[in-house]
Amino acid sequence: MTTKMPSKGLPVIQAKDIKESRLSLTADAVVVGSGAGGAIAAYKLAAAGKKVIVLEAGPYVPSEQFSEMLAVGMDQLYQDHGGQTNLNKDITILQGACVGGSTVVNATVCFRTPEYYLKLWAKEYGLTNLTLKTLTPYFEEVETNLSIKPRTATESSPCADKLAEGCEKADIPWKPSRRNVKQCVMTGACLSGCIPDRKQSMLVTYLPWAVAKGATIYSDTRVVQVTEEKGKVTGIKAEVIDQTSGDKKTDMEIKAPIVVLAAGAIQTPLILQRSNVANSSGQVGKNFACHPSLSVVGHFPGLNQNFYGAWHSLYVDKFTLPDDGGYILLNGIQDPVEATLNTERGTGKPFMGYILESKDYVRFISLIHDRNHGEVLWEDGVKKVKYDMHPEDFPAMIEGMRKAIKVLFAAGAKKIFMPTSHKLEINDPSEVDEVLGSLKNEIARYRYVSYHPQGTCRMGADPANSVVNPYGESHDVKGLYVTDASLLPTSIGYNPQETVYTLSSYIADRIVDGFSK
Amino acid sequence: MSSGGNSNDKPVNGKLYGRRNFLKISGLLLGYTGLSSLTVIEAFAASHAQDAPAPAKIIHLTQSEQDVFVHLIKAALPVEGTKLPSPEKAAVLQTLDKALLAGMEPHLLAELKGGIAFFDAGPKAAYGGKHFTQLSLEEARRFCDEWADADAVEKRGIVMGLKKLVGLAYWSNPITWPHLGYVGPISKRTNIPSLGNAPMPTV
Repeated sequence: MTTKMPSKGLPVIQAKDIKESRLSLTADAVVVGSGAGGAIAAYKLAAAGKKVIVLEAGPYVPSEQFSEMLAVGMDQLYQDHGGQTNLNKDITILQGACVGGSTVVNATVCFRTPEYYLKLWAKEYGLTNLTLKTLTPYFEEVETNLSIKPRTATESSPCADKLAEGCEKADIPWKPSRRNVKQCVMTGACLSGCIPDRKQSMLVTYLPWAVAKGATIYSDTRVVQVTEEKGKVTGIKAEVIDQTSGDKKTDMEIKAPIVVLAAGAIQTPLILQRSNVANSSGQVGKNFACHPSLSVVGHFPGLNQNFYGAWHSLYVDKFTLPDDGGYILLNGIQDPVEATLNTERGTGKPFMGYILESKDYVRFISLIHDRNHGEVLWEDGVKKVKYDMHPEDFPAMIEGMRKAIKVLFAAGAKKIFMPTSHKLEINDPSEVDEVLGSLKNEIARYRYVSYHPQGTCRMGADPANSVVNPYGESHDVKGLYVTDASLLPTSIGYNPQETVYTLSSYIADRIVDGFSK
Repeated sequence: MSSGGNSNDKPVNGKLYGRRNFLKISGLLLGYTGLSSLTVIEAFAASHAQDAPAPAKIIHLTQSEQDVFVHLIKAALPVEGTKLPSPEKAAVLQTLDKALLAGMEPHLLAELKGGIAFFDAGPKAAYGGKHFTQLSLEEARRFCDEWADADAVEKRGIVMGLKKLVGLAYWSNPITWPHLGYVGPISKRTNIPSLGNAPMPTV
């Protein structure tokens, strides 16, 4: 079935549209989550003629209602209003929680999955099917569909240009980013949603395409149980929630022979744990990684950058693979609100003076490839993310900051502000070793942000140590699939959105093949 | 998407807060923490009003908790000698109350309240028995900086978190931005056209 695609916006059934207290539906496939993993699976299944229902726990926020104000965007579009953290709560874990998921609020950074990891996954987890040759057509497909390409020369920012200058002087190779954007107008507001719909998020691509092929989208609907019978999935149970009051409005049940979980690497394992299914391996929720990041900020008196531009446009990946260092450096525009969060300048006048000079700052982000040592748990009726910076990962963060500082000083920074709980600055390159040498791996000492939770339902050939098989299907429950970043057997060190798009495309094609058999 | 509640932790009962709870409290405040869009816009609108309205009543904080925040705001957000709007004009306390605490789940709010009490009592040993609210502004600033570099995790966490809250509530108000040379959101102001939905894929 093909219907006319809306030129703008989406027909989403929201809590306010539902009058019934109980709703029973049937479908060929239920897709749980509308972000990178869910939207692509939904489109491919709908395009194959299947009746598809997409469920999104977050609200539907049309792009004209975005704010371009970070603090407001966090409340509007993010999981736990931007307050999601690890159990010790010193790592903010950002995930989109709206129709379109994290693709609505990410920085548009795209990387193909490095072959290093494909080979590692084949060797360690039996994923011999995920070769570069097999996946290349999928990379090409999503790159075409999402306009993923190297950014243009003008698609940058004064801060990124300054970092490029520093990289060249420090003899550290930088690269222009590949982004999923069309005609970027460089509002600098990627993280609070793109009002003019230039970012090619799921909100303006695969979701409207899925709708055009007959898919139905429900927002405000959180899945509480995956149902199964005799080892085959039978559907889901969900609750439609009034986002304003938090009250349950409707109990929903959907019967379907295919369930695709794509709720993100924190929510997907929680759904499985709450359902008490698909966990004969005991691995559901384990192996959590999140690419923790820290920002160092350089002071360039008189820079007078204007807070606008492509939010992200430059990176350094010479040191990204584990044997090369295990960290990637990424630029990111820092607006005044973010400036209040990323570093510490002391209390009172030093802080106010710092923010007043926001136009003179350049931020460089160090993001690390981390060990999959964390765990996501549903315990006593609440979620818990047990993860702290691993002592063996901390040195990579230090080295990442060392390189970032080197670039900032080479670019002409007069001072570096560090992302610590206490005031810590570096006034001269000669101080770097002493300052970095003084830093210890301590809880609540740093201002960590994670943008990439992953790994909690890992893919593998061995049912004893993985949750889903090499084609994304549960080892235990036939017809139950996972297509989000939960799949990744290891952290990949690079922004994972293109990897998720690709794996979702690959798995969805296998599901469609299964229907035809 | 969510599968359950928005909280990570169990409710705290009673008023005795052990070290473990301080960890939770401190961490609670470390997130980026969004401001409820409707209420923050209300608060911002009030701060823009030509005829200053009567300050909105604070609902979610007791008087003693308000006193802690008011003192922290004075210590952390001095505007003397600048053209910056005062924290009162920027409706910092109202923004905190209406845009942040109002949407907080009850057990998290209870933890926050425990954290505020812990913070207020923090200076007693080193500052002659004084509570935070009794410190001079210079002492209050020194106390905050000492706790930010303390050995105790919970001290670092709570002071970092409370300062983030008041900083965020102040600087997220658009009336502060002109002083930074920041003009804020531009898409609507400059009528940047939307590209709408992408055409159906060909591959």
